[in-house]
Amino acid sequence: MQPTKQNTFEPKIIAFVCTWCTYAGADLAGTSRMQYPSNVRVLKFPCTGRIDPVFILKAFQQGADGVLVSGCHPGDCHYIAGNFHARRRFAVFRKLLEFVGVDLNRLQFSWVSAAEGGKWVEVVTDLTEKVRSMGPMTEFKELAMEEQWSGAINTPELQEAYNSI
Amino acid sequence: MTQPIDTSIYAAITEAIQAEAHRILAEGEVTAIVGYAAARRKGSAQPIIITDAADSVKLIFTPACVNNLAVYLTKAKKDIPKNGKIGIVVKGCDLKALSGLMGESQLKREELYLIGVPCAGVLASTVCPDQELTGDSIAPKCTECDAHLPTGCDFVPAETLVTPELERKYAVEIARLEALTPAERWVYWKEQFAKCIKCYACRQVCPFCFCEQCLCDRNKPQMVDTTPRPAGNTAWHIVRAMHLAGRCAGCAECERVCPMDIPLNLLNRKMAKELKELYNHEAGFEVLDKGPLNMFTEKDDQSFIK
Repeated sequence: MQPTKQNTFEPKIIAFVCTWCTYAGADLAGTSRMQYPSNVRVLKFPCTGRIDPVFILKAFQQGADGVLVSGCHPGDCHYIAGNFHARRRFAVFRKLLEFVGVDLNRLQFSWVSAAEGGKWVEVVTDLTEKVRSMGPMTEFKELAMEEQWSGAINTPELQEAYNSI
Repeated sequence: MTQPIDTSIYAAITEAIQAEAHRILAEGEVTAIVGYAAARRKGSAQPIIITDAADSVKLIFTPACVNNLAVYLTKAKKDIPKNGKIGIVVKGCDLKALSGLMGESQLKREELYLIGVPCAGVLASTVCPDQELTGDSIAPKCTECDAHLPTGCDFVPAETLVTPELERKYAVEIARLEALTPAERWVYWKEQFAKCIKCYACRQVCPFCFCEQCLCDRNKPQMVDTTPRPAGNTAWHIVRAMHLAGRCAGCAECERVCPMDIPLNLLNRKMAKELKELYNHEAGFEVLDKGPLNMFTEKDDQSFIK
């Protein structure tokens, strides 16, 4: 990538939030006129329990540089236990992503209540700055660009055969 | 590592299985038995379903009996138990899968007659099915087996097993990968997943992949790209590992059937290790009402959440 482009890199952050707490918290930040980076794209879900790990994968595949998942504090779930289930699921999912080789600094989980506009600003700003310093997420995008495993000619015999054509 | 493994008791086990199968079929206790029979090549074995007591002499148990027969009671074949009680020959790992299926209400214990097999191990590959079972030729899952002797079955041949201590192949490989940087691991898995041809053999053979419509087959919305290209392959294998987390019994059938030799069970073992560390859960013979990801405690670790 050209240096000029690197300097203007703006991270794309996808935030999966629960409608009862974090969405209201983000709304509060807005109505209180707090400033936070516009890099975040908020997607509203009924509950963190509705957020399937495959959404996070899909976000990365579609070009997200960072993903934020945020919902109600434990015990405050509108559906009583959705966030408890989500907590276990994401604890395991991030271990899986780590094992496959995804940098976990790009994936942030948080509890932000409807009253915590300030915390929302802090979480979003922190993640945006962290991802900005890391540069674009290229792993999943490169995968999408690659056609076939057999496309690479990496053995001397194959290279020789190819050259002789 | 060419440590020989004693399989001399397998002949006695075969006889005991045959005698028991004959008895329960003749007495009408079961309507059918799922077991192993000799296949055409010398030393090889294949699954068989017998319904006649006279056929019980066909049943065998050898190191080539690699299949997890639990898969014959799920999916398209889930009507089979409705025809009466079914006998099934199970190794320890297969029994863990059956226990998991019972916990998920896919099978009922009273519909089954379990014939447990004390198993010292099976072959990793059945390319040469009549080879000796040694520390080299044994399936990697058997090097970590903690379930050589199934318990809670209706019948287990009374044979004494000798199981030598072997190098734990998955644990060694997981430790090697964990020591790498995320970028190095990504390179490793990228190469592995790129081999995938999306034949879905791993899904078809898995006793736990019993969804009538797989998330990965749906196209509205399409969550996972279905073409055998690197992006969709990676997503498929991550989703597969995630959906099996806390459920996988470790029978390693996915890895055995993979035509491209992707180390699929490595992902499953890693998830099992994490679940053991996080929630002290291990697949076992006990039938659990809820798996580790279907329940929670208020004190679960949340150090990773801001």
